[in-house]
Amino acid sequence: MKVSILIKTIVFYVAITCVFLGSCTKGKTNYEAERGEVVEEGVEFKEVTDFVAAGYTISIEALNGVLYRGYNDIRVRIKNTQTNTPVEVSSVTFLPIQTAVSGEKRSCPNQYNFSYKSGDKYFSGYTVFTSESGAEGSWEINVNFTVGSQNFSVIKEVLVRQQTNKNLNMTMFTGKDDEQYVIALVSPQKPSVAENKLVAGIYKLNKPLDSSSKSIADQLQFSYSQVDRYTLKLDPRMPEPSMGNHSSPNNKDLIQEADGLYHGIVNYTMTGNWTLNFILLNPDGKVIRGTEVPKDFTPGVEGRKSELYLDILF
Amino acid sequence: MKKLSIILFILSLGLKVHGQSISVKRDTTRRLGEVNVEAAIKRKIESDMKMAVSVDEFLASSDNISFIKRGAYAWEPLLNNMSTERSTITIDGMHIFGACTDKMDPITSYVETNNLSSIDIKSGQEGNMHGATVAGSIDLKRRSTPFGLQQKVGGAYQTGFEFNNKQAFNLGNLFYSTDNFVADGSVAFRKAGNYYDGNNKEVLHSQYNKLNASLGLAYKTSPLSAIRVDAIFDRAKDVGFPALPMDLWLSRAIITSASYKQLFEEGLVKVWDTKVYFNAVEHYMDDTTRPENLVHMDMPGWSTTYGLVSKINLKKDRYSSEVQLNAYDNLSIAEMRMYPQDRSKQTMFAYSWPWVTTRFASIAMNNSWEISDRSKVNLGGSLGWNYNYSKYVEFNWIFHPGAPQKKNRWLPGLHASYELNLNQFDISVGTGFGHRAPSVSEAYGYYIYNSFDRYDYIGNPDLKNEISYEVNASVGFKTEKLSISAKVNYFYIDNYIIGRILSLGSPMNYQSVGVKGYTSLKYGTLFNTAMSIDYKVLDNLHWKAVITYARGKDDEEGNLPFIRPLSYQTSLHYNYKRIGLRTSLNGDFTQTNYSPAYGEDQTSSYKIWNLSADYSFSLGKFKTVFQVGAENLLNEYYSTYADWGNIPRMGRNIFTSLKVNF
Repeated sequence: MKVSILIKTIVFYVAITCVFLGSCTKGKTNYEAERGEVVEEGVEFKEVTDFVAAGYTISIEALNGVLYRGYNDIRVRIKNTQTNTPVEVSSVTFLPIQTAVSGEKRSCPNQYNFSYKSGDKYFSGYTVFTSESGAEGSWEINVNFTVGSQNFSVIKEVLVRQQTNKNLNMTMFTGKDDEQYVIALVSPQKPSVAENKLVAGIYKLNKPLDSSSKSIADQLQFSYSQVDRYTLKLDPRMPEPSMGNHSSPNNKDLIQEADGLYHGIVNYTMTGNWTLNFILLNPDGKVIRGTEVPKDFTPGVEGRKSELYLDILF
Repeated sequence: MKKLSIILFILSLGLKVHGQSISVKRDTTRRLGEVNVEAAIKRKIESDMKMAVSVDEFLASSDNISFIKRGAYAWEPLLNNMSTERSTITIDGMHIFGACTDKMDPITSYVETNNLSSIDIKSGQEGNMHGATVAGSIDLKRRSTPFGLQQKVGGAYQTGFEFNNKQAFNLGNLFYSTDNFVADGSVAFRKAGNYYDGNNKEVLHSQYNKLNASLGLAYKTSPLSAIRVDAIFDRAKDVGFPALPMDLWLSRAIITSASYKQLFEEGLVKVWDTKVYFNAVEHYMDDTTRPENLVHMDMPGWSTTYGLVSKINLKKDRYSSEVQLNAYDNLSIAEMRMYPQDRSKQTMFAYSWPWVTTRFASIAMNNSWEISDRSKVNLGGSLGWNYNYSKYVEFNWIFHPGAPQKKNRWLPGLHASYELNLNQFDISVGTGFGHRAPSVSEAYGYYIYNSFDRYDYIGNPDLKNEISYEVNASVGFKTEKLSISAKVNYFYIDNYIIGRILSLGSPMNYQSVGVKGYTSLKYGTLFNTAMSIDYKVLDNLHWKAVITYARGKDDEEGNLPFIRPLSYQTSLHYNYKRIGLRTSLNGDFTQTNYSPAYGEDQTSSYKIWNLSADYSFSLGKFKTVFQVGAENLLNEYYSTYADWGNIPRMGRNIFTSLKVNF
């Protein structure tokens, strides 16, 4: 009797050991952490650079303290160098200038007149750098500000780096109307397998004005303008051959909203590589660039991309 | 998980200490027998043909069960021609949920015949004691040895070999019984290779390998009360699913419970039985054995359930009643990760069950009054509360923007029946009404690939409750030699949930052809009927025959899928001294009411002839039976209406088995 109880008890402990061992053979995916590894999200504005001029410190801030090729939200703070307190500044203009190796000067889509955020006492705007600093040339920033009735102007070279987050990708192209366009993704920085609000800026290169008399800054500040009342038609797909041109439902084309940016909806059904296939229409509904992509499910075949597309990854 | 096992550990320590002392009194289960409130028909685990059957084969011998088969293993039982979402399948009243989105692991695959004593099948709303249901309930009853048996230690060992798929199995169970302590243990191994179809062609990826072990310990705490702890461990490894693009690498389940039972000699309440339980299932698929696959994919799934069942039986004079409280909490998680051809690239990930919690509680009651010696009325009802929470609800929002993350549902159910006995006739009529909540897949499933119709399925969190209205009737006639019975039931189901092609989205799995969303039809109807005859030709020669027919229609008079065509089963059993001979014929007629809209094609008729012989003898003092037989003797090539991908069933199979009782 004793022995058999002992045996039973042993068997029972063995079963319990199985419970312990059984606490999952393969680990579950830590979904939040995994997405963090792929996409680095910039959440904090940090100083990129500062310059001191006439007793004022001008500080330029961007997300992560880095300027990237593509869309950048930018903040400018101006302080009294000695007292380190904000100065009453009535206006700030911001102009990035690229000097090519040939010496030619260009700008990029940019908000020239920054707007004042009184709460946090800084000036806010954006810039879409169209190239990285390097072989193509270097970037410098020209900031003008007014204190009282005095105007100040400073210039400093900055480093524009490659954007590693493909969700903030950009593209430049010539439309069927022979105009030069820039499309830059603004958000989401970190998409999810979900319904995502997709925001992009669309800009056009203006024909150079014949105004040799004007200063370089005056010429370049009008080099790009935001395009209005266009439509950016969206068809997101997974390009991977095994995904067979997989797409998602309930997406919405991007249209311009009050902030001047283009807003739409993109649904990502799983993580991985996605291609945002676009067709850009002008206000008359004419195709500026982009082609319809096949809608068929074609396993084993790499998805065909539109003439106008952006690749993202998360 | 760890907490619970510690509790079990402590309990088992307790048992060890007390197990040797205290004495006397009678077995609780026998007393329960005297109370005699369980009206259900229990069936012995053994089919007409074979004494060593699998759980699936055993269930198949019931006339209201049919199966969806994806291979040789883990068949999905359909009750009243309805899939497992519509029935509640429990083990001793414990809810367990499979961890596979493709239903490759129905609950019945986590038990073995040698740790079950019977299977209790209830049709329709009568089955709502264990929780809200439409089709009914299947309760797998665990084996539990009574206290104080004359034979203190005993058991059985069964071994056998089946030639078609080289299945070797060894099943053993052992019990130890004293007046106040009982232990039950069982171990089962099965290993099978690929089977061969009727054309003697090997069906690749149909192998399986299973280990099942169970242990139950009971201790009598007083003459009228006992506690019991139970555990089942099940592991299936390298299981092929020929009808699916992937196989099972490993699935494991641990099913544990601790229960307390109290009997009362006087008063209205006769028995109070309470159980807490925990079970965890993990299921990992594997497609590395399928080089033809374009995409390598991982699809792990986990399902964890905690629960409580508490039941009292009441009896007074001609009135008896059961009241049962159920509560459980389940978390179902399923992931899919696809690997691009260039493995160095980023993998693609999504949840097919985005961490879905289901909480359920119900109170159910079943009353019966014997109005007279000849007639009886049964009246029962249940009220359930079902709560769902999807942690990563953004997955569900892709197809259903703005769907709620949490959802509460109330699930009422009612049933009534009248039984009348007129001399040789038994007549019963009944009716029922009940709600059920959509299953995790139906409500929150995300790109679940269904290889039957080759669509990816998307759940809808906003689905309405399915509401079933049913009527049923049966007539039986019995003489000493002959018994005939006919049963019929009809279900009218409002908001019948089924997958419909979506014009949205595109497939994710490369084998699939489109996307289907679970939607509610306005209604669906189901009609089931079965007739059976039992005839004692001679004292030692029995003839039995069953014929079943079912019809299912949607709201546009179209056919519902997976409805069994006209089918029959007939057998002859002859006993002479120690020899038993059996032969049976079963088959389906041509499936005329198939449903192309749901991916079905017509399945032709088939008939299967089986033969077996057994011989009982004594091996020393052990009672021993040896059996040899053949299934599908004519080596017919066939597949049934519910075989996924029309994979052919097993051809001729010669089986042998030896059972020793000691």
